[in-house]
Amino acid sequence: MTDNEGKAPSAVTFHGSWTDFAKIALPNVLLTLVTLGVYRFWATTRERHYLWAQTRFIDEPLEWTGRGMELFIGFIMVFFLLGLPLIVMQLVINGLVFQGQPIAAGVIIFLSFLAIFYLTGLAYFRALRYRLSRTYWRGIRGGSDDQGFTYGWSYIWKNVAAAIPLYLLYPWASMSLWNERWSKMSFGPYRFESNADWKALMKRYLLFYLVPFLVFVGAVALGITAASSGGGGDPFNSAGGIAAVGAIIIGILGLYIIMPIAALLYYSKFMRVAISALRLGDLEFSFTARSPDWILFWLANLAILMMAYAAAIIPFSLFVAVDPTQFAAKIESGESIFSVGLVLSVLLAIIPLTFATSLIRYRSWKFFVVHMEAFGEVNLDRMTQSETQTASHGEGLLDAFDVGAI
Amino acid sequence: MSTFFDAWHFDGQSAVRRKVEVQVIGNQFYLLELERRHGPYRFGDLHFLGKKTDGTVYGLEGKDGWRLGMTGTVPAELSAMLPAHRVYGGWIDRLGLGKASLVFAGISAAIVAVVLLSPQWLAPLIPSSVERELGDALVGDFGGRFCDTPKGKAALAKLTRSLDDNPQDLQVEVANIDMLNAVALPGGKVLLFLGLLSQAKSPDEVAGVLAHEIGHVRERHVMQGLLRQMGLAVVLGGFDGSGGSTINSLLSTTYTRDSEREADDHSLKALKQANISPVGAADFFNRLASMDGSRDLKDRQARTMASYTSSHPLSDERRKLFENAVVKGSAYKPALTADEWQELKTMCAQDKDVKSGWGFDIE
Repeated sequence: MTDNEGKAPSAVTFHGSWTDFAKIALPNVLLTLVTLGVYRFWATTRERHYLWAQTRFIDEPLEWTGRGMELFIGFIMVFFLLGLPLIVMQLVINGLVFQGQPIAAGVIIFLSFLAIFYLTGLAYFRALRYRLSRTYWRGIRGGSDDQGFTYGWSYIWKNVAAAIPLYLLYPWASMSLWNERWSKMSFGPYRFESNADWKALMKRYLLFYLVPFLVFVGAVALGITAASSGGGGDPFNSAGGIAAVGAIIIGILGLYIIMPIAALLYYSKFMRVAISALRLGDLEFSFTARSPDWILFWLANLAILMMAYAAAIIPFSLFVAVDPTQFAAKIESGESIFSVGLVLSVLLAIIPLTFATSLIRYRSWKFFVVHMEAFGEVNLDRMTQSETQTASHGEGLLDAFDVGAI
Repeated sequence: MSTFFDAWHFDGQSAVRRKVEVQVIGNQFYLLELERRHGPYRFGDLHFLGKKTDGTVYGLEGKDGWRLGMTGTVPAELSAMLPAHRVYGGWIDRLGLGKASLVFAGISAAIVAVVLLSPQWLAPLIPSSVERELGDALVGDFGGRFCDTPKGKAALAKLTRSLDDNPQDLQVEVANIDMLNAVALPGGKVLLFLGLLSQAKSPDEVAGVLAHEIGHVRERHVMQGLLRQMGLAVVLGGFDGSGGSTINSLLSTTYTRDSEREADDHSLKALKQANISPVGAADFFNRLASMDGSRDLKDRQARTMASYTSSHPLSDERRKLFENAVVKGSAYKPALTADEWQELKTMCAQDKDVKSGWGFDIE
């Protein structure tokens, strides 16, 4: 990436402040709590309304026109079309196993797995389509006339093909799916074009791929040292003990620190390569976030979550601390621990957690917008309204599979 | 009569931003450009889209992307015609955030209360035929894993009879699976697993466990549990992440623990009525306690944590419950004769046709 000195200010800018955002997020938390979570679809909509409006492309802000009801309907649809059948399927599978028909059960499990796999692909596609069709700029929106059904199949076969050589083709699969997905999207009269090259990702991917092996080898080497120097004695004083502790520490570090960082290094490259290959009419894009930016972003999110968890435990601890002996006696004798205080403390614990995830969504959007660049010209006379159809239900599938839109 | 105001406009057809004047005529208006006139539009078709830095923005019913924005203070005559600002939308704006929150909280509390309490009276309303069919659908003949010898069955029937007044409602089976466990299923089905029989030191132990499972059947815990679980899953389904499932498991765990306690009480009563010693059941829980580690939990805090996360009361506490129920000097009689006990214990070994394991494992 070349430096930005001497260039005009970025075409995409963010003007929000997290204190303003908190004024939206806090009432959202309250309403989500008292509606047993039902309000969260409207909460999401209010958040996006703010985030989109604070994002300017060239001289005009974006506008989010999605509605809470659309997201809610999407959720209900998924519950009835997917949730209930899966519960029934679960019962059928249990029944078959109990009745000694493991093969039939296996076939059904495989088919359910295939269906979920397909629907996950479909969810990625349709979420992107929904978000584009609800995003307006100067009264013009995006969208796609493709329903994403063929994309669902691509999602399956490309992922399977990537898995066959021990997942070594994963960068190919994800990049080719990115290209396929975006090529079917449009904004106004223009189609997106995307032809990102996956080979640029391979070095970073191999790094990520090798981390578990390196961690494993390191841990085994230390483990062997530990075993050969003999056990017994204080684990922190004998040489073997120290090596064993070292092996465990390496294992934990590898799993919780090195792996996520290696994944971020890959993801950072992925986003830069993928977005710089994206075109819309005469517009070209690029994404400037580099690995250190991603790592800082991730660490800060982690810190926010940790603080939220710490705050979530407080009401429960207070509840137990008020009368610990009585609480303990009740619990040990198997008596009912159902009490208004306990339920309230769990409900209160939801407040910091919901607020923290909301804050992380704000940070994610800001991170994305701040690092987004666009080049080229927009001919306003030729930028006419999109003729793609719009769906009246939101991201239910996406919600159900817990995946991100982009 | 007409009035003019400064405003900006997107027509939803192209991305060109138009500087317009609003010309009001009655309950309609036109948007005037230098050489063009858009409209007429009806005020009734406008909807509020939001307050942005460059003014208050309105959309128009049926016109995709149509936008009218007004900067600065809008004159009173015009603002009277425009739709009201929305902050949250719907009921919440009408009631105000505070009142709306209270109303929602009340409704939510009522719904949760209904979901938690209704299974107690809903479960008995479900016809036993439906429940039996559900039980059959779930288990059937367990893939031929029910052990069956005439003498073993007779011993089991005798044991069941001594513990329950209406044994014909119950279907007690021994399943050829090496697990130290027993379950109550919908439709009065009770399964004792082989592991329980082969590890039991006396028929009294089996009697205590069987009476406990019959307790679940008689108190309709199985259907209650299913109904409550389904209800909670629906009601708390709105929370994303771990919030809903945490509340769900906390509430349902409380109820399963209550059910376990009720079943233990039922077991104690049944044993008393049958004049069978509770020492056997206490021995059984003693063995469970050493297996699940609750016997060695000396520390009060550790005990509390262990029982908080457990769906059952601590085995060690249940041992004490049954031990305390022993009446000293009472002339208890054994649950089964030595011969009957032998037949029951060896029923699976004697049954040549029974299938073993889960069908997945290698024999």
